[in-house]
Amino acid sequence: MDPQKSNRLATGVILCFAAIVSLIVLSLVLYLLATGLPHVSWHFLTSAASSFTAGGGIRDQLFNSFYLVILTLLVSVPLSLGAAIYLSEYAPKNRLTSILRLAIEVLSSLPSVVVGLFGYLVFVLQWKMDFSLLAGALALTIINLPLLTRSCETALSQVPFLQRQAGLGLGMAKWRVTTRIMVPAALPGIMTGAILSAGRIFGEAAALIYTAGQSSINVSYSNWNPFSPTSFLNPMRPAETLAVHIWKLNTEGLVPDATAVSAGAAAVLIIAILAFNLLARFVGGLVAKHFRQ
Amino acid sequence: MEDNIALELKDVSVAYGAEPTVRNVSMKFKKNQISALIGASGSGKSTLLRSINRMNDGLATVTGQILFHDVDINRPKVNVYKVRQEIGMVFQQPTPFPMSIYENVIYGLRLTGEKDRRVLDQRVEESLKHAALWDEVKDRLKASALSLSGGQQQRLCIARTLATKPEIILMDEPTSALDPISTTQIEATMMELKKDYTIIIVTHNMQQASRASDWTAFMHQGNLIEFNQTTEIFMNPHEQATNDYLNGKFG
Repeated sequence: MDPQKSNRLATGVILCFAAIVSLIVLSLVLYLLATGLPHVSWHFLTSAASSFTAGGGIRDQLFNSFYLVILTLLVSVPLSLGAAIYLSEYAPKNRLTSILRLAIEVLSSLPSVVVGLFGYLVFVLQWKMDFSLLAGALALTIINLPLLTRSCETALSQVPFLQRQAGLGLGMAKWRVTTRIMVPAALPGIMTGAILSAGRIFGEAAALIYTAGQSSINVSYSNWNPFSPTSFLNPMRPAETLAVHIWKLNTEGLVPDATAVSAGAAAVLIIAILAFNLLARFVGGLVAKHFRQ
Repeated sequence: MEDNIALELKDVSVAYGAEPTVRNVSMKFKKNQISALIGASGSGKSTLLRSINRMNDGLATVTGQILFHDVDINRPKVNVYKVRQEIGMVFQQPTPFPMSIYENVIYGLRLTGEKDRRVLDQRVEESLKHAALWDEVKDRLKASALSLSGGQQQRLCIARTLATKPEIILMDEPTSALDPISTTQIEATMMELKKDYTIIIVTHNMQQASRASDWTAFMHQGNLIEFNQTTEIFMNPHEQATNDYLNGKFG
């Protein structure tokens, strides 16, 4: 076969594979949106879920999902960034650090249901957190740490070596070079990584069933005291998230419109995750641009 | 130490592993003069330069003495951060930080805890004027340093080094990433700077050494072959290796 023909053939095959992948993703998203969106209304988003009758909403679950993402990021971003700074700037190349890297990789391949049961044993029972947002946030942190550490480390390692040298050449201490030059320069990548991980943990269910719980207690959205048991901000209350809600509706849903509510909730979930991904691109680009100007 | 000597190397060797990259170099750099280190790739000239302000710490083993104001700054107990403020460095490629021109210049100064706005403003103007960049950027000090051209960025890096008021400026092939016009500007800037500073420059560009330096050291395979006044080195080299290099027989 002459080069031109074989090239055309190869391009065609590659295009075909790409098309299959995008088709699967697209059709899934479109199916979810087509079946779910008709049930999504302002009323659906702003009313509480009902236990037995039709017409319930997803207000609490939606809020819980976002709140849990924020709590998780509050815990996991500093941890991951610290680990990434150590790995990329300080870690010597020896057996200890290669074991550390291996441990992080193993952590990323743990099934989330295992993480959930671990969280149940340690956070919920051992540390007496009960089913709570905090226990859920800690479980999600375990899921989030490996990928977030990796993306922070990649962001840091992409800062040109000469930037480091320039800082040191000015007489800056290494810690200062790290915090004042390396981290700001890597910020677009770090933020993109954090937001993308937010999208990932937003849809997590298995790790939360035994940690954040499957029930939502009645909370008041006007009580801003996070230590009050009825406050929506209280991190020690059990909280069912959107993804857990969908799982529960499909396994033991008692409401007559369980299918419809679950479809609507799934549509909202996928829109939120898409929004996280778009936001990640947008914010990353914005921060990078800010530095260039 | 003699009055007109800014820095003296005594028996300096540098090794990355077992094999030394620089062998027993001893030389004296005169104050307010430009000294050029020339030689082929791998001759050890950059390695030697980077050892002077301890930039090889953690990368290579440097032995011998580096005398600065009668102090051996190669001893482990010396405060390397102070050394680097006294002996500044300009790198092969412009390395502006992703922040404003103004912030870039005073970055080193902020380390010393200087907060007085007037002092900072004055030092920015002074340093940028010294680096011959002031006229081009005085109306946009708040603009990002990354919006400058390559040549301007390199002069900004020189200004940034000057702002900490060093005595010696080390330049590691400062024009290798720049076009001829920017190169000429940097060389003119160096001529101005030597009134107040001592400059040691590594260059693989022989024309640059002959144009811009007062003294030239020729290095070959880690050894210092010849160190003399630039005119002498180029017109009347004493060593065969120097002559061969200058005539393009290797390197």
